[in-house]
Amino acid sequence: MSERLLSGHPRLDAVLGGGLPANAINMLIGLPGTGKTILAQQFVFANATLERPALYLATVSEPFDKILRYGQTLGFFDPEAVGRSVFYEDLGKVLNERGLSGVIEQVSALIKERRPAMMVIDSFKALSAYAEAADFRRFLHDFAGHVSAFPASSFWIGEYGEDEIAVAPEFAVADAIISLGTTRAAERETRSLRVLKLRGSEFAPGQHAYRVSANGIDVFPRLADAIDLTDYPLEGARHSSGIAALDEMLADGYWPGASTLCAGPSGCGKTLMGLHFIFNGVRQGEPGVLATLQEHPTQLSRILQGFGWSVDEEGVELMYRSPVDMYIDEWVYDLLEAVERTGARRVLIDSLTDLQLASPDEVRFREYMYSLVQRFSREGVSLFMTSELPDLYHVRRLSEFGVSHLSDNVVLLQYIRDEATVRRALTVLKTRASRHEPEIREFRISPEGIVLGDPFAPAQTFD
Amino acid sequence: MQHGDLPIYSIGAVERMLGIPAATVRNWEERYGLVNPERSGGGHRLYTRAQVEQLRFVKERLDRGLQPAEAHRLLGERLERGVDFRATDDSEPAPRLLILLAERDPYAAEFAEFFLQTEGYEVVLALDADDAARKFEQLLPQLAVVELLVSGGTGAELCRRLKEAGVRACLAISALEARDQALAAGADAFLQKPLDPLQFVSTVKDLLGKSAFLQGAASR
Repeated sequence: MSERLLSGHPRLDAVLGGGLPANAINMLIGLPGTGKTILAQQFVFANATLERPALYLATVSEPFDKILRYGQTLGFFDPEAVGRSVFYEDLGKVLNERGLSGVIEQVSALIKERRPAMMVIDSFKALSAYAEAADFRRFLHDFAGHVSAFPASSFWIGEYGEDEIAVAPEFAVADAIISLGTTRAAERETRSLRVLKLRGSEFAPGQHAYRVSANGIDVFPRLADAIDLTDYPLEGARHSSGIAALDEMLADGYWPGASTLCAGPSGCGKTLMGLHFIFNGVRQGEPGVLATLQEHPTQLSRILQGFGWSVDEEGVELMYRSPVDMYIDEWVYDLLEAVERTGARRVLIDSLTDLQLASPDEVRFREYMYSLVQRFSREGVSLFMTSELPDLYHVRRLSEFGVSHLSDNVVLLQYIRDEATVRRALTVLKTRASRHEPEIREFRISPEGIVLGDPFAPAQTFD
Repeated sequence: MQHGDLPIYSIGAVERMLGIPAATVRNWEERYGLVNPERSGGGHRLYTRAQVEQLRFVKERLDRGLQPAEAHRLLGERLERGVDFRATDDSEPAPRLLILLAERDPYAAEFAEFFLQTEGYEVVLALDADDAARKFEQLLPQLAVVELLVSGGTGAELCRRLKEAGVRACLAISALEARDQALAAGADAFLQKPLDPLQFVSTVKDLLGKSAFLQGAASR
């Protein structure tokens, strides 16, 4: 089966390895409220034509009128198509009067009459209540035989749990199983779509976050790029990072396309370094995306004013998102889109800590960051990430979830107490393919930028 | 993909439908390079409906006394202009013809029979190869639709037997991509299951040479 049925949503089709195989039996499962009916109607309205219409068959769990009433609130619902290329029919009556054999006869007659390209049964699970186990299997065999003999894609919707896949016989007949559900982390719930089976096709495994809106289901495929061993060009000429202090500490200068992790306690100057990185980049002709989860645009504008910068400058794209109820995969697609649209060569992520808090678990976060850093690195986009450290003094570890391993440069900012004063210090802990000065240097934030002071004496450094 | 775009017809079927010798069709392909059929994995030529229409266009010009080169030049002009050679007129009712349907899957048989009947064909159904051979001898249907997996995969053999026994056309069908096997067994056309009703019915009409598609003379 090489022909595919597309959903009209490119990211969902990508999860499905290029759409569903045409003429397959697809099961859409999940608890009430997960969006199964919406997803089925999305496929229906994306594909139905006058020549090859769609049949939407309601059984007994979802009242026929209700499907229509809610359906018409959806953006893709086309009332003009109803009765012309999308036919809603009620199987409830025949089911109650004549049972499952009545269903087969009616569906067979509808196929002959309408010659559909798609056929939805909502809910399929409700049918199993109309027969004993052995009779239901017989029905299933007969029904699957009918629908497979005609070139139409079937969607069987049911409020099945994933534990029923091994026992309910309809799953053995299915060519594809898509499960819609929610993942819980603490009190936070994330909707997630999983492909559990897709005969004869590759698909993107794992949980993919999705949202349900009036425009239907919007999927954010889990960013999990496989290792790519193909070569990619490295830029040969070094630029300025835009941060004077950092350039000075990196003896050989700063590589474009490098990823830099800047870790430090609150108020130490991480965001400011990131802003220097972006705005001085823009002045060197490198557009930048400022992806912040911290400062509201109003707060940010105030900070920027002090340096004579503005988010309205050409070449600067501000992407502010609140970390509340954020989906990290939705966020990353927004970011990738912004980078592509603006041709950005620099990206600031402020901060990784916020991003990590929105992530369902640590393993997932590492995989996600690995994919993101690799993508930017291959594209030659320079990345600057800030990470919050809990200790104000005497930093003992970088709690950045493995990102320091991925980063080309790791910069530590810390406070150093000197009698009655607190000073800021910068250390380059790591640079890839470059020499660096392994010193702890004082730095100052001045209107001219972030400039280095003197090295600290040994007594002032780590205890 | 639209029906007119699918490579379905063997060169033998084209020869019979249009009355142009296969050698001539091959010769034109080499010389003018305008109607280039797809090749199956085994090297058989497979023509789309649009290509059959293009050859019919050439044939009509020859019948009016044009030279092949001139007819092909006119065809080339129309192809450049993007004339849709798939457009056909199916309005003419099919005559009452008998079709033998050898299909092992009762569900598929039910649909195929229904769609042929709605087009006015009479259908006799056989669920295995022996039954099909017997019904052929008794009823002499004009066309046979043979599922290649009938009777444990002896459909190709059945095609061969029916062709030898003089069936006008044999349409092989299978859920497998078995164009080579079908053409090697002498089938005139091959369709993959599940059958699209429109495509199925128009292929049958074409093979019987009774559709408006073959008789139509609407000039372009």
